[in-house]
Amino acid sequence: MKFLFVRQAVILAALALAPGVGEAIYFRDKISWRSAILPSKMVTVEQAHAWGDTAIWVDARPDDEFASDHVPGAISLNEDHWNELFPQFSTAWSPEKKVVVYCSAQSCDLAREVAERLRKTTQPPMENVFVLEGGWEAWVKRNR
Amino acid sequence: MKKTSNIESLDNAASFGVGRWAFDVRHFLWRIVDFILAGVFIYAGVLKALDPVQLAHDIDHYKILPWTIGVGLAFYLPWLEILCGLALIFRRFYRGALSILTALVVIFLVATIAAKVRGLDITCGCFGHASQNWSFPAHLALDLAILAALVVLCWCSVAQSACECLTSAPVVRRVSKTA
Repeated sequence: MKFLFVRQAVILAALALAPGVGEAIYFRDKISWRSAILPSKMVTVEQAHAWGDTAIWVDARPDDEFASDHVPGAISLNEDHWNELFPQFSTAWSPEKKVVVYCSAQSCDLAREVAERLRKTTQPPMENVFVLEGGWEAWVKRNR
Repeated sequence: MKKTSNIESLDNAASFGVGRWAFDVRHFLWRIVDFILAGVFIYAGVLKALDPVQLAHDIDHYKILPWTIGVGLAFYLPWLEILCGLALIFRRFYRGALSILTALVVIFLVATIAAKVRGLDITCGCFGHASQNWSFPAHLALDLAILAALVVLCWCSVAQSACECLTSAPVVRRVSKTA
């Protein structure tokens, strides 16, 4: 009886592999196996600096962290106060500008979430939205 | 002797009929539970299979597994749920499906509670975007209900052959007595 459970479970688990692999191939360009953000949607501090005034810096960290320090000229935009903060961002944004979103460090997820929301929910959808590699920590390391 | 045998056989037939009827009703009820659970898992699996990228991020929010493994699971788990759901409906690999689903729900429950204890603000991703605004108690209640149903089905599946034996056992015993 016990072996019947195990044998059937193994067969089902093996059968599920085939469509899973198929889907992984189908979605190969939409997700990275190495990092939560696609390499094409990330930007280094150096690259972002090179964009100069054509880039808008968005701070996705909580309000208190933004208040204590932030990239000069950055706009605060986080998930907690999206509706209150978004108007300020939208007045600064124009289609030809690139948006650089950052949070505290490489491991944080806030920047990705804000970038994703900007890409998906805004009208028209923003294409040039990038997440800063290494986040605020990387910016501090490079500039101070 | 012959008369007694007839009465006994009628009695046997009646008790067998009642037992059989009770067994059929129970069996029918378990099949309804099968279909409900299968529907839940197929629905959840399809929603997740449509957006594996979001599921990978939902898995990552638990901060338990490395990103690469989370991505692999995001592609694999929805199909496992769909297949197990189909197995419940068609009763093929039925016991295997029950054990996989039970294990999945237990793992998910432990991961959810662990995340809550660590203060992580997570969306379970169980039903794609549909479950994004569910509260922690709602998640827990649904998972416990599903787990309870799966455990009952597992138990029934194991006991089913025994049930069938019990239903038919009195007939066999009484017939042998008259003989």
